[in-house]
Amino acid sequence: MAKKNNDKGSTGMVEKTTTGDIIFSVINYTFFAIFTLSCIFPFYYIFINTISDQSLVTSGQITVIPRGITIANYISMGKVNDLWTSVIVTVLRTVLGTALMVVVSSLAGYLVTKKEMWHRQIWYRMLVVTMYFNAGLIPWYLNMSMLGLTNTFAAYIIPGIVAPYNIILVKTYVESIPAEIEESAFMDGASYWTIYRKIIWPLSKPILATIAIFGAVGQWNSFQDSLILNANSPQLYTLQHRLYIYLNQCSNIGALASSGDVSTIANSLNTKIIQYTISMVTIIPILCVYPFMQRYFEKGLMLGAVKG
Amino acid sequence: MPSKTDIFESKKKPAVKTVTERTVSQKTADIIYILLRVGIIANVILLFFPSFNPARLSEMIGRNLSLFSCGVSYDSIVANFGRALRQEWIREATFHRLNVYCFMVIIAVVISIVGGCMSLGNVKMKKAGLIPTAVGNILEIIAIVLIRTCYEEIVSDARAASKLDKVLPQYPLINYVYYVIAGIGLLCAAAVFVLLLKVKSEERFEMEPKYHLFLMMLPIIALSFVFSYLPLYGWRYAFFDYKAGETLTADKFVGFKYFTQLFNNAQTRRDIVTVLKNTLGMSSLGIFTSWVPMAFAIFLAEIKNGKFRRFVQTFTTIPNFISWVIVYAIAIAIFSTDGFINTMLTNITGTAHSTNYLMSSSHAWLKMLAWGMWKGVGWSAIIYVASISGIDQGLYEAATVDGAGRFSKMWYITVPELMPTFFVLLLMSVANILSNGMEQYLVFSNPQNKEAMQVLDLYVYNLGIGSGLIPLSTVIGMVKSFVSVVLLFGANSFSKAVRGESIV
Repeated sequence: MAKKNNDKGSTGMVEKTTTGDIIFSVINYTFFAIFTLSCIFPFYYIFINTISDQSLVTSGQITVIPRGITIANYISMGKVNDLWTSVIVTVLRTVLGTALMVVVSSLAGYLVTKKEMWHRQIWYRMLVVTMYFNAGLIPWYLNMSMLGLTNTFAAYIIPGIVAPYNIILVKTYVESIPAEIEESAFMDGASYWTIYRKIIWPLSKPILATIAIFGAVGQWNSFQDSLILNANSPQLYTLQHRLYIYLNQCSNIGALASSGDVSTIANSLNTKIIQYTISMVTIIPILCVYPFMQRYFEKGLMLGAVKG
Repeated sequence: MPSKTDIFESKKKPAVKTVTERTVSQKTADIIYILLRVGIIANVILLFFPSFNPARLSEMIGRNLSLFSCGVSYDSIVANFGRALRQEWIREATFHRLNVYCFMVIIAVVISIVGGCMSLGNVKMKKAGLIPTAVGNILEIIAIVLIRTCYEEIVSDARAASKLDKVLPQYPLINYVYYVIAGIGLLCAAAVFVLLLKVKSEERFEMEPKYHLFLMMLPIIALSFVFSYLPLYGWRYAFFDYKAGETLTADKFVGFKYFTQLFNNAQTRRDIVTVLKNTLGMSSLGIFTSWVPMAFAIFLAEIKNGKFRRFVQTFTTIPNFISWVIVYAIAIAIFSTDGFINTMLTNITGTAHSTNYLMSSSHAWLKMLAWGMWKGVGWSAIIYVASISGIDQGLYEAATVDGAGRFSKMWYITVPELMPTFFVLLLMSVANILSNGMEQYLVFSNPQNKEAMQVLDLYVYNLGIGSGLIPLSTVIGMVKSFVSVVLLFGANSFSKAVRGESIV
């Protein structure tokens, strides 16, 4: 079922299909089909293993089709307290971190377009330079600990508020909004703040949605800050960090059992299933927002091609 | 309520006024204001530096506590006093008060900041701004005096319990700096008050747009400074014999010892060579295969079935949005001892297979490249897909008329059209040759393949966070930062020379 606009090369042309074309098509389709399958199958494989009957999973009988469907694994995992804390921490940081980042990026993106700002260029360059240069991991860590941001939840939120990439994206977008709209508001006596709130914010919603969604995925996936800054506060581990620990620990069920709550379920659950179930808990939110993200890919592309 | 035009005119007027009607006293006041603002900035900085903590009234109070942390968290002040408080060598109330006074300093600084910000307004606002300035500075002096009383209390309590040697009270000299700063602030405010007394104020509070905008931007600039520029201050650790948890003192200064250690210490040198080999090796593999996303996009465009094409695009992009930890989870699910591959092989052949493909050290680079490809190729291809859809269809039609085949069209039309994008991305990846990131290598590391996985970023992490060798890892980070900047500038100039366009 080809659609009208798909056939790029053949508009108004009569194309002869040769044997070469057929061979090419077959190879091409096959390649993409296999590659796409390799991108889907792992998720599917993990998923079917988490919803299948345990004994079948353990004996390696679940490969392609789920059997003995059950949600017992998820229910058992739900009893693990530290998994819940991780979920809560991760959800909170994703929501809070993203919201603050978006608000600040949009305000900053608007402000840096205002030529009348005192030394605008300096501040703007100061923001942009940070994209290309950083002091390094250890000075960053020492700085965070000097600021008292180790072993705190704030360590997930505050450093990410100012995101130069996103500020540039918003700036580029705001510059494309016709200047007349803003000028007329200014004539009517609106302050910069009012203009930002009443005009810039609503008009730049598409780009804000883009940075929000990419920012949220980044927050959800982030793992280094939990690993480095909050290493001594297990109650602040993010889901990714927790998953990483389980992946490394699961080979040794004793270590897992000694870590508290898991011991109660360790007897009833196979290590493999624990790994799979936590992985699924971590993946599902991404897969859920993914369909909504796709609309923003084109804009997100600018992420790779922004100019300072 | 004033009409809209009124507001508009009043917005324009002061800008003209300030330029034309500036009196001598106003100019002098402006100079004093600079001093005042510098004082406020200094005050803010002092607030966050543990080495300048006036509330560190005992050596037992954590070295890494700043005045700010003392103000917001009582627990952090008394963290080391468990025994002293239980034995009642000192009173808990003292520390509660100390906590409150530290918070007072924070409030005082905030009030001073408000005053400093108002000093950017018109004369009326400047005058009004003197109130918070004065209040802030007075409050600060009071708080510092009160901190002194806490100190005296600690000393007398400890003396009464004759445990001075356990409590180790001290009165940080930085307290006097606080007095000086607050005093200067007060003097400045008084001087400005006298100078501006005679100047006629405008009718309403106003600020020139340029300062107004600047003040709106200020918090953002401050955040960026604190989290992106302040770490540069950490580079000083490269020159000191520093161990985690200690304070820096002048006698630990070792100059370039750790820089020369990179070359002189045989062990370090061997490590660095391995690490560089891994880093450059894996980055080069990435660079040599950077055409793959382009090829992916070109061949994808050859798929005529739109539904299938979108399907492919949708699902090959997913891996880009999952973290490396999940990629590792997937790797385990597929390749580990009881993963998919082994299960399948066992089921098919009937004999038990349990090879752990992840554990082997063979082809570590290629495996990492493959995972990187799997994760990134679909996403990287999107930019080319977008470019391909922007190519003028007329070119293809003309080529078809001229008898060009499928591959010649790809090679002579599509590829040249995509070259500029490819070139920019290639240069960027060359500039990033030292930054492979650490997550991927961290999660895939295991005792067997550790040697081959240690890239620069991971090495710095292992060395600094893992082994606590702060100075050496800082040195390596510094060198990396420098080289990266040089590479970026190089790539940029190259791009300018070749394409006449910069990439950054």
